[in-house]
Amino acid sequence: MGSKTATTYESVEGGQNKTRTDIHSPEEVGGIEVDKQDEKAPSRFLLQILLNRVQNPDKLVELDCHSVEFDDVRYHIQFSPKSPQFLLLSVSLPTPPPETIFFSGLPFGAIEAVKAAYGGVVQILDPPKDGFNLTMKVNLTKLPSDEEKQHSFLVKLASVREVVLGAPLRVILKHLASRTVAPDVDRLVALVHRPKESFFVVPQADKVTLIYPMRFKDPIDIVLATSFLQEFVEARRTTGMNNAPPCQWSSSPPLELRGATGHALTANAGFVTIVIFPRHVEGRKLDRTVWSLLTFHAYVSYHVKCSEGFMHTRMRRRVESLIQALDRAKPDSDKSKKTTLARSFKRLNVTDGRSNSS
Amino acid sequence: MDAAASRPAVVIDNGTGYTKMGFAGNVEPCFIVPSVVAVNESFLTQSRGPTKGNWLAQHSAGVMADLDFFIGDEALSRSRSSSTYNLTYPIHHGQVENWDAMERFWQQCIFNYLRCDPEDHYFLLTESPLTAPESREYTGEIMFETFNVPGLYIAVQPVLALAAGYTTTKCEMTGVVVDVGDGATHVVPVADGYVIGSSIKSIPIAGKDVTLFIQQLLRERGEHVPPEDSFEVARKVKEMYCYTCSDIVKEFNKHDREPSKYIKQWTGIKPKTGAPYSCDIGYERFLGPEVFFSPEIYSSDFTTPLPSIIDKCIQSAPIDTRRALYKNVVLSGGSTMFKDFHRRLQRDLKKIVDARLAASDARHGGEVKSQPVEVNVVSHPIQRFAVWFGGSVLASTPEFYTACHTKAEYEEYADTALPYSLSRKSRYLLHGHLPPGAFRHHRHWLDMTLSSE
Repeated sequence: MGSKTATTYESVEGGQNKTRTDIHSPEEVGGIEVDKQDEKAPSRFLLQILLNRVQNPDKLVELDCHSVEFDDVRYHIQFSPKSPQFLLLSVSLPTPPPETIFFSGLPFGAIEAVKAAYGGVVQILDPPKDGFNLTMKVNLTKLPSDEEKQHSFLVKLASVREVVLGAPLRVILKHLASRTVAPDVDRLVALVHRPKESFFVVPQADKVTLIYPMRFKDPIDIVLATSFLQEFVEARRTTGMNNAPPCQWSSSPPLELRGATGHALTANAGFVTIVIFPRHVEGRKLDRTVWSLLTFHAYVSYHVKCSEGFMHTRMRRRVESLIQALDRAKPDSDKSKKTTLARSFKRLNVTDGRSNSS
Repeated sequence: MDAAASRPAVVIDNGTGYTKMGFAGNVEPCFIVPSVVAVNESFLTQSRGPTKGNWLAQHSAGVMADLDFFIGDEALSRSRSSSTYNLTYPIHHGQVENWDAMERFWQQCIFNYLRCDPEDHYFLLTESPLTAPESREYTGEIMFETFNVPGLYIAVQPVLALAAGYTTTKCEMTGVVVDVGDGATHVVPVADGYVIGSSIKSIPIAGKDVTLFIQQLLRERGEHVPPEDSFEVARKVKEMYCYTCSDIVKEFNKHDREPSKYIKQWTGIKPKTGAPYSCDIGYERFLGPEVFFSPEIYSSDFTTPLPSIIDKCIQSAPIDTRRALYKNVVLSGGSTMFKDFHRRLQRDLKKIVDARLAASDARHGGEVKSQPVEVNVVSHPIQRFAVWFGGSVLASTPEFYTACHTKAEYEEYADTALPYSLSRKSRYLLHGHLPPGAFRHHRHWLDMTLSSE
């Protein structure tokens, strides 16, 4: 019985890994996961507010909301009935580590990406609001009038995180799709991943290699994440995953990281290397790939938490059954008070207990 | 202080019907979703399943199922469209009953709705005044062990509701909170920020009963509502069309005189066949909320109207607080949102109080004239999520972070404490062994909020 429980834990993790790898090869995934995946890049919070605003144009109420997402991305959205055609959206990005390059508070190419994505609807305010990296003035009167187009534009606006933070990666992967290397990039590019942490990209004409140093705070998270990542790599080798990007895990920094600074070379849950080929960034797949790669840590951390939750569910059930067993074993101290009915119940329980323990 | 304290705290108010969640400092919760989880049951049967044969196949189905669940409106629509998902309501009558479901619910709230990393934020959760310490420990366990939150505070709902009232109208922290949620109704007197525990009154009638009553009325009149949808329809009808009347007989007459003005139409689509249907909404518009004022029309077990419960509650409170309590009756919870609910409550309560005064005056033969008692039922626009708003206000004060229980405190405490609660290291937590001052500084806190404003 005990050993079976243990195996179940392990294989469950393996299974979860499968769903994980699916994200990198979405064409192989079954229904639900894909559905969930589709909605991931836009922030639910922003989308809800934007839709609410656009769908109730007559309801003019003062709006001033803050929200914080994983990896310390913050949003601030403001609307005032005094100027009902405008909406202010500010975004603050994670503190960049020293090895990444930011231009006036934004990653390389972010301004161009914002302009390309939102066109004339959005005006970038310079300087941005105090404490934020980017402030955009959205002109609500210029939104596309077609309902479907309008909705997809708002979804895009709610995905501002991907547009801004993913800009440099998108440039690199776009070049990969056309099998070239961007002219002015280094051999090893550091991009911001989390506050004061980066991941590394090695762009080549036929493939792009990404290296993630994985770091966790809690000692138990480190253990879970490590075994999780090992199985993650293992899951790639199973049948049906042939089109997924190859990935590797190692406890020491891989060779590609030569020349990186000291801090980048320490990671308490090892290093994950993922290789992206042109087929992974063709056409519509590009958006999804950029998002998956950009949020790899959050993804692992989410599944580590889920594994813990799952184990707790199991443990709770186990403790309950143990308590039942203990209760049955209790000597009848107040036997005199028991009615005949209660005694007959007791006897039933004892036999129950025996058949369980055998 | 750590970096987490520089980010806004996450405030989640889990109610029986709806969960309100968002970030401290905002005026409104980011999301209000039904407190319901749709679970793929194959996961549960698999983990219990004694069949050995193809456990691997069973198991891989279970592997997916572990993450295969939905909450809120998504859960409702999933369960309607597919039979794989079973609905579970983790909270009954204001108390968490199913911790597995609750843990998953929180998981989705945090990762899918708020999209935040729980390690980055302090958390403020709420509980009803009647929650047992064990359940508080379970909550702490899930929050600290599964989600690794840096700090947690569990506040009592009525105190938060009162704090919300404080910021909109200038009144003190003394008052009676009438909290009518979906699953529980509590009347809680609070004096200077302290809950008077012995005087709390509960009523077995809440929002859900209004829904059930409307459902029953619709069914008895023979409206053509598909049975599988009728509860949801009744709930929508309640939320959209119900109001409180001043006199039930007059209201019946009004409806009969001008049916076209008062009778509303409900149209929907049958979930099975996709055919449209429509039904009339008539008397249930005012009879629904009436169950609070004349419970005998709904149940034969419980027949005391809400106003007299409030009166009894105040009468059982310490004598020097009573006048202040009558002066500040605060409404909170979604089921107090019916139009004119506060007017009706104030009128009925005033009637009871005046009758008592008149009786006592008569007994004294007119020699002593007692001072009239001021009765005031306070209603404010954020009533529906007053508890959440109070939480948001409190959690945005710098003092919140010092009042929170940190992970380190939890670990120290969990090592020394209690029977049979699960824990990663099979720690045994002991009930009745809360750290000194734990969960007891509501007063302290509110003081700080007041002074900081």
